[in-house]
Amino acid sequence: MKGSVGTSIALHTLVLGWAMISLSAPAPLTVADVEAFPVDIVPIESVTQMQQGDKSAPMKETPSPKETKNQKAVENAENAGENDIDLKTPPTPTKKPVPIEAAAAPKPVERPAPTPTPEQNDVKEIAPEETAPKPVETASLPQPKPEPTPPKPEPTPPKPEPMPPKPEAAKPTPAPVQAENSSETGELPPTPPIPMAKPQPPKPEPPKEEAKPVEKPVEKPPEKKPEPPKPTETAKADTKATDASKPTDKKEGKKQDAAKSSSSQKSDFNADQIAALLDKRDASGGGAKRSATPASTGSTKPSNGAKLSLSEMDALRGQISNNWSTIAGIEGLQGMIIRVHMRLDQSGAIVGEPEVSSSGGSDTARRTMESSARRAVLRSSPFKNLPADKYDSWSEVVVNFDPSELGL
Amino acid sequence: MEQVALEAATHDVSLWALFMQAGWVVKLVMIGLMGASVWTWAIVIDKYVNFAKARRQFDQFEQVFWSGQSLEELYRTLSDRQNVGMAAIFVAAMREWKKSFERGARAPIGLQMRIDRAMDVTISREAESFEARLGSLATIGSAGPFIGLFGTVIGIMTSFQAIAGSKSTNLAVVAPGIAEALLATAIGLVAAIPAVIAYNKFMGDAGKLSGRMEGFADEFSAILSRQIDEKLQPRQAAQ
Repeated sequence: MKGSVGTSIALHTLVLGWAMISLSAPAPLTVADVEAFPVDIVPIESVTQMQQGDKSAPMKETPSPKETKNQKAVENAENAGENDIDLKTPPTPTKKPVPIEAAAAPKPVERPAPTPTPEQNDVKEIAPEETAPKPVETASLPQPKPEPTPPKPEPTPPKPEPMPPKPEAAKPTPAPVQAENSSETGELPPTPPIPMAKPQPPKPEPPKEEAKPVEKPVEKPPEKKPEPPKPTETAKADTKATDASKPTDKKEGKKQDAAKSSSSQKSDFNADQIAALLDKRDASGGGAKRSATPASTGSTKPSNGAKLSLSEMDALRGQISNNWSTIAGIEGLQGMIIRVHMRLDQSGAIVGEPEVSSSGGSDTARRTMESSARRAVLRSSPFKNLPADKYDSWSEVVVNFDPSELGL
Repeated sequence: MEQVALEAATHDVSLWALFMQAGWVVKLVMIGLMGASVWTWAIVIDKYVNFAKARRQFDQFEQVFWSGQSLEELYRTLSDRQNVGMAAIFVAAMREWKKSFERGARAPIGLQMRIDRAMDVTISREAESFEARLGSLATIGSAGPFIGLFGTVIGIMTSFQAIAGSKSTNLAVVAPGIAEALLATAIGLVAAIPAVIAYNKFMGDAGKLSGRMEGFADEFSAILSRQIDEKLQPRQAAQ
């Protein structure tokens, strides 16, 4: 027995010794140093109702786009940015302005930009106004001109300030031409629409040529302004010009008209595009909405995160149910739900066909109710009383109806 | 102190370190289980050797016994030796036979009974020696895991107390204490599993050997009974 105990002890020592050596330190788990990946479960509302902000900015209580330096407020601007015009394109990071000489050139261009639409009208008005004194010199018919001018003396005063450089630049050249014109203008009155007809080669060749050289160098900037106006505006200008047909003898009047007509022509092949091509400014997108607070996380899409309130939703629903011609005595309406999916434009009118689907109830009743729902929806287009600032949330609407709630 | 041990343990998780950082109760349990394991294997080796030897001796003896050699001669060669197993039974029976005839026993039934008793006693003594210490194997086999579990529970208790003291639930703090505690269960299993297997095996072997001895005893008893009848009948006839 002693021998076997000794053997046993020897065996155990051997095994333990081997275990100490070979199993002494199990290889430590080499865990790859992976950063924990945070996953948030976000309700869909926080995406669809996200307010405009800056994606790369840190999170804050209220989303806000990058702080803008340009604090000139632009009304109804939706897109954040430093621009004076509200553009949909996202703001591009400004690069180093290397060519300083080039930077000088854009300046005159920028000036017309700030006040797009109103100025344009002013320009037209100035023309007759400035022409007003001149008729006296040229002894052409002065009576009709005072008439258009009286209503617009107020807007004109500010004009002279920004304009001075141009008229001065224009004046020197027109001066000699004016003399020639005076003789021609005597003939011109009977042909008032001539400046308009610039594209038409036949008659107006002499005035056009006179106007052209002057116009090209100086009037370029004003051409930019006419971009926004619609054809109707230019038409107005035309009528004005015809009203003041006599002032055509005036260099200025002609210039304006010619500019107008040229711009109206250009609008046929997308003046915006050409203006954009001619635009030598830095390609800085961005809107004109100002932000005073530092940037914080939000969506890049301009949105105020508003959702249709319950009462507004009810109002929409009410408009449909008001137009719902109820059909009495339909059976199988129990548990029926009619679902109307429609797209609306800014005015509240339906775009395309509303999609109507339903579930529950009998087949025939469902078919009847679907068609009556479609009729009701189409009849109640355009929808009224939808808040314009929440267009994002009601551009696509899904309304559910329970026929039993409609009193059918 | 536990905290210090836990902090140190984060760097060293070798067996020896695990043992050294354990509490004294767990250490005692581990040492006891190691002793039990040593004892188990000592018994295993001892029994294995003994049983093999016994089996060999049985075979040899049976060979000699059934070779037709005179029982008197066989007794003479064996009587002055230290005998085990079948030889011991044979010697015991022969001794009883001799004693009875030297003193001139008269009752054949009483002689037969005495010889059987002597053989039974020898069988039970031999069987006892075969089964000696197998009981401790059974004990180690059944109690080993429990003792190990006790060590584990104590170890985990102390390590949880240490965690409560260090106020950290970091796995690096918790793990060494638990590993150390589990070591006790591991040692318990290491001791118990061979013990259970060996116990079952050696109990079976011991049963077989005793069966063989009993078989031999019965056969030898039959032979002796015949001899008694043969020797006593002429005497009775002579009377």
